Amino acid sequence: MQIRLSVSAILVAMLCATSHAHGQKATEQFIPIGQSPGVSQKLTSIGEVAAADARARTVTITDPAGRRTVRVTDRTRIWLDRTKLKQSNRSGGFADLQKGRRVEVKFEDPARRDVAEWVKVEIDR
Amino acid sequence: MSREPRLTPRPRLRILRPVPALLAGLLAACISQMPDKPLDPQAALVAKGRELFFNETFGGNGRTCATCHREERNFTIDPAFIATLPKTDPLFVAEFIPALSRNFENPRLMRAFGLILENLDGFDDLETRFTMRGVPHVLALRTSVASLQGPRTGWSGDGAPADGSLRAFATGAVIQHFTRTLDRIAGVDFRLPTDAELDALEAFQLSLGRQQDLTLPLALKGTVPKRGQGIFLDDRLGKCNVCHRNAGANRADGDNANFNTGVEDLPDQPARLTGERVPRDDGFGRPGDGTFNTPPLVESADTGPFFHNNAIETIEGAVGFYNGQAFNNSPSGRFLASIDPNRVGIRLDGTQVVAVAAFLRVINALENVRQSIELLRETDALGLSNHAEAKRLLRRAASETRDSINVLAGGGLHPEAVAELERARHLTERAAGSFFFRHKRIREAIAAQEKARAELVADSK
Repeated sequence: MQIRLSVSAILVAMLCATSHAHGQKATEQFIPIGQSPGVSQKLTSIGEVAAADARARTVTITDPAGRRTVRVTDRTRIWLDRTKLKQSNRSGGFADLQKGRRVEVKFEDPARRDVAEWVKVEIDR
Repeated sequence: MSREPRLTPRPRLRILRPVPALLAGLLAACISQMPDKPLDPQAALVAKGRELFFNETFGGNGRTCATCHREERNFTIDPAFIATLPKTDPLFVAEFIPALSRNFENPRLMRAFGLILENLDGFDDLETRFTMRGVPHVLALRTSVASLQGPRTGWSGDGAPADGSLRAFATGAVIQHFTRTLDRIAGVDFRLPTDAELDALEAFQLSLGRQQDLTLPLALKGTVPKRGQGIFLDDRLGKCNVCHRNAGANRADGDNANFNTGVEDLPDQPARLTGERVPRDDGFGRPGDGTFNTPPLVESADTGPFFHNNAIETIEGAVGFYNGQAFNNSPSGRFLASIDPNRVGIRLDGTQVVAVAAFLRVINALENVRQSIELLRETDALGLSNHAEAKRLLRRAASETRDSINVLAGGGLHPEAVAELERARHLTERAAGSFFFRHKRIREAIAAQEKARAELVADSK
């Protein structure tokens, strides 16, 4: 019985191990570039779009650390930060990753920093 | 001529009766007038967090954190409490701010069932994409937020934006609930909390309620609650302890986790019976995986209605849910059946459901007693200059005592303890209105609380 119960505990652990914790993305949309608590600058890169390749679905950004090319996948959320225009932030698309625009990119893997989890694009005009 | 012995003291001696108590009260007041020790940094942070939680509107629609997380209702709200609020309460902003009159709240569901609208799947389609959830209490968070996969906040464990931490939670709450308009423009419709404010709010919330889990079994004195504890801990019968270890929020290995227990599959959910649009809540993630986060049970009996959608009103009903088809057909229910020698998930008879509920009522009452005593002692340590703070603490202590009375009496449990708690409540309220006799009343109230506790559990600490 003791063994069965220990196995039960392990199996319960496996049953719910599929849910990985993450921040909910819904309200993230309305947080301006650079103001995401515990995330901005630590797990993100803030810089300018240097280039965007729609075919390869990559965006190259320049930030204080240099240039970095990041993949944008179907999972990547793109939001338009229109705070400076005093307009509501909206969902955007790859076409909004235009050269010269200020962006903040959060990475799916903070160590590898090669795939974007989300991108905020500043729209100031 | 002999004199008859006096049966009553002379009038001037009766006048002098309260003097010792008066002098004791003055002495206590004088002692506690000695310069306070400087507030330690953590205490100062908690105090700052309290101030923000109850008073800061972040430039929004007038709501504060405490609009929904009411201290006098164990940091949650329910329909009975909502019915007492004036029409101008910020809870009802959707009813008097035109910009929020559509797609911000559902006033009918809020008033009838205590449900709050959340756009956890995004804000692109406010008409059809939303969830209706109850207000979770914020007690004992220190025992329930941490998990191996990262912090779990809110009903589905993914309540906070950014890094998903309790600290970041307030940022998401301001955006969702405090906004002046549905545009949700930072700097216009609200302002975001600063880093320092987030630190303070987190510290305050973590300070609330229990700071550690119980160690079961307790030496309960009541026959039925004791049996309920036995069922709770029996991994072949109640199986509650598998996911709610020690009646907390963590599973058997100590981790706070999510489970799909089939609550969304309950038939005849009260909110849906109204005919109002109540989209299916898919839980954690986007799209959701159907799981919801495990809450602690010690606080459950006086924080209903129950589950993320307030679908069940009573603690007996909440325990009884695990007997039903919705749970036993759920992934969690099927899993428990798969490892059961009789292929049964959870199957309890009526008396067993009531016994488990009685156990939950008693441990909740014990927690309320603990908190009441803590508040009374905290008040006793204050000086005369802190009369306002003393009243606040005593009001809270009286409120906790009322909760323990209601929780026990609601289950027909421990009438002797209920009587002592009534006495404790009365003394606490008298202490709140007293100045020179406060110290004495507090000591008597504590004694009454301890007597009540001794009725519930053998090894009272």
